[in-house]
Formats: sequence, C-alpha cells, structure tokens
Amino acid sequence: MIEVSKLSKQYGDFLAVRDVSFKIARGEVVGFLGPNGAGKTTTMRMITGFLPQTNGRIVVADRDFDKDPMGVRCAIGYLPEVPPLYPEMRVTEYVRFAAAIRDVPRSERRARVERALESCGLTGVAQRVISTLSRGYRQRVGLAQAIVHGPQVLVLDEPTSGLDPIQIVEIRKLIRALAADEGRTVVLSTHILPEVEEICGRILLISRGQIRLDGTLDEIRGQGTLEEVFLREAAPTHGGPDA
Amino acid sequence: MKHILAIAGRELRSFLTTPVGYVLFTAYMLVFGYIFYLSLKGHLQRIELIQAYGDLQALSTVSVNQDVIAPSFGVVSIIFLFLIPLLTVRTFAEERGNGTMEMLLTSPLATWEIVLGKYVALLGILGLLMFFTALYPALLFLIGDPGPEPLQTLAGLIGLFLLGASLGAMGLFISTLTRSVVVAALAGILAGLLLLLIDVAAQFLSGPVAEVLRYVGIRDHFEQLLAGLMRSEDLVYFGVTIALFLSLGRISIESLRWR
Repeated sequence: MIEVSKLSKQYGDFLAVRDVSFKIARGEVVGFLGPNGAGKTTTMRMITGFLPQTNGRIVVADRDFDKDPMGVRCAIGYLPEVPPLYPEMRVTEYVRFAAAIRDVPRSERRARVERALESCGLTGVAQRVISTLSRGYRQRVGLAQAIVHGPQVLVLDEPTSGLDPIQIVEIRKLIRALAADEGRTVVLSTHILPEVEEICGRILLISRGQIRLDGTLDEIRGQGTLEEVFLREAAPTHGGPDA
Repeated sequence: MKHILAIAGRELRSFLTTPVGYVLFTAYMLVFGYIFYLSLKGHLQRIELIQAYGDLQALSTVSVNQDVIAPSFGVVSIIFLFLIPLLTVRTFAEERGNGTMEMLLTSPLATWEIVLGKYVALLGILGLLMFFTALYPALLFLIGDPGPEPLQTLAGLIGLFLLGASLGAMGLFISTLTRSVVVAALAGILAGLLLLLIDVAAQFLSGPVAEVLRYVGIRDHFEQLLAGLMRSEDLVYFGVTIALFLSLGRISIESLRWR
C-alpha cells in the first residue's frame, strides 16, 4: 500500500531523513517510533505531499507521487500533530468542507460526513462550534476530517499528544476501530512505547533520520522489552528540531 | 472551479460568523456617512451662496458629482488603505496559525485554486462594501433635484471597487509572507501607501522616469474613473496589478513547502 525507497530530506546542511526505505502492506497498522527530532514528522510530511522530498521515491496505493500527486493525496487521510481546525466553524460544516476539497461528489457528501462523524463519536456535538470543544473532541474532529473522503491510508502524527489519560484511551480505541474498518492501512508516529504495543502490529524505529529497526511486535519482543530495544537503538541524539 | 467555490464559501462563512467583519463594516459606514454628510453640507452652502448673489449662470456649473460624490469617494480610497489590509491579513496568516494550511496543501488542491478561492471571497466582501457605499449616493438619486449623473457615479463606484480589488490582491500576497497578523496589517498599509503615493515623486522628476512612476501609481487611474472616464488603459492597469499580486501569492504559498 505504501512503498518508500531511498527517501531523503535535506534542510540546508542538515540531513533530517536519509535513505529511508520501507514497504507497508494493505491493512497493516505501523507505528513510527523514535525520539523527538528523529525525522518522524518529516517522513510523514513527505508521504502526505506536504514537503517535497530531496531524493527518493514514494508510491501510495499504486500511485507514484512524482507522477500523480493529486491521486496520492486523494488516497491519504492525514492528521498533523496539531489538528488543523477552523475554530469558528461548526463540526459538521468543517467536515463537509474537508469532503468538498477532497473531491467527494456532492451527492455522497452528506452521507459520508454523517458516517465520519459517527465513526469518530461526534454525532452529539455535530452542531457545536469547534472552539468550544475539549481537546479530546478536537482530536476526534481532526480524525473525522482525515477519514471523510474514505482514504485507503491514514497518516497520524502523534495522535494522542496533549490529551489526558481518559482521552488517550478513547482515541486509541478509535484508531483501532478506524484501522479495522475497511482494512485501512494506518501509519502513526509516537514516542510513547505502550501506545505502539497497544495499537500497532509492526514497528519502524527511526532515529537520526534512519530506520534502525523494522519488525513485528513479536519479533522485537524476542530482543528484550520494547523499552530496552528503544534505548539501545535510539541512542541519544543531538539532532535538530522535529520539524 | 468546485474547489475555488468550496474555499470561497468557507471563507465567507467565517467572515460572517466572526465579529471582525461587522465591526469594520459599521465603522466604515459611520466614517463614510459623516464624510458624505460634510461634503453634502458644503455643496448646499455653495448653492445658497450662489443663489444669494443671484448668479444663475454659475448655478448651472455646480454638480453634485463634483462637489459630493467624487470627493467623498476620494476619502474612501484613503479609508481603503487601512480597511482592506485589515480584511486581508486574516486570509493566510490565520491559516498558518491554525495549522489548516497543512490541511489545504495535503488535499488534492492546486495552489492557484487556494489563492483564487480566497480572492473570490474577498471580492464578495468588497462587493458587499460597495453595495453599502452606494446607499448614500442612492439617497441623492431619490431626493436630489437635479440628482447626480448616474454613469459618472457608477464609474466612481467601479473605480473604488477596482482600487479595493488591487489593494486586496496585494494584501493577500503580503498575508502569505508572515504568520503574524500585526506584521501583515502594517506591511499591507505601508505597501498601499507606497502604491497610492508613488506618483508624487513624479512631480519632482521629468522625462520617461516620471511617466513610468505616474503609470505605476494607482492614484491617477483611480481619479480618471472618479471623473467618470472609463479608459481601457486604466482597466488594464488594474487587471495587471491584480494578476501580478495573485501570481506572487501563488508562488509564495508554493514556496511554503520548501521552507
């Protein structure tokens, strides 16, 4: 579903991501694990087409990004670390706008919006103005915006950061449900180890812009606890900002 | 086209649901109304004076357009210098602040669709502003005898609209350059001042340089329309200015991906 080969990103002199290659199959839920500043966000931003890569090739849903960027964008739902919300809009209005700019046909729009709101548990607050919602609910609205056009791939950048423990549990549950629904492929980044164990089937450990480890949860558990592996592979970095 | 309308619609809805627009419109109507009132008062005093002298010949040279509409529209052009940047600062600066720029740039939208969507919304707001502006001259049509020249008044309104549209395109471009709303507003006002006053420099120069400066400045083109002259060269000037700033805006947004 996602195929990345020899992906690099250079900011001036700083090589944020170097020669990253991986393949993710349909329906997999992959955790991008790594310390802050490791290059997780940069890699995700290249896959979603927000940042152009310096080098390398990205293929999502059988579409090569360089040849069909709009096709790739249609196939991806993306939730950045800070949910991209218009605070003055109502929840439904906002999700409908997201559907409109992602080419959901007008005739299907209402049904798709309703379904996205329902999947994200937002039906009760559909008419609320976004700025009046709690952080957990804002995160849900961000997720609704990412799934409304029915993408095959979901890219979530630190989806639980800044939430309280109850909200974290709920959002994790929601992500698991969204992944199971329609066999979606999910890539999510995090630096919280239990989160990976709870949601993901496979781990890509990234540190200093490189893939250090790629394997299923069981394979990695064979090498010690997740924490031991993480500390061994992601030795302290003095890398740049997680930009 | 669908994308442009989706973006323009969202923008207009936001404008109508936040208080900023209402405050700006109300302030505008109060200030413009007062200026219109003062011009009208001056006009009536002049007529009284002429009547007192019994100079009927001079009476026929007095025109409402010259005395009231053109000068008050001239003042509106100064108001626009401040009002339009305040309307445009939000467009992209806020989008970057909210993080929604990332959403737009990862959606299947062409950059020019984003820029044009925002611009169409701005033209809609400007059209609304023109409607309210036209209400005062409309009063003169109702109760004035003789009323104003309709075509000259219309040309003045078109001039104001084009002036606003040019300042708006410039403000939109400036708004792509910074995250800070304050910086965008100040830079917008300064750039507008420059565009409006650059032809003053032409008075101290002569030859082709002066000609160029006079053409680049927006004031001369606006005043031709205010005087009721619809010249194609002025319309071309406004068209080119708008297209130039919108293209710059597109390039600037495109470059966000590289920063």
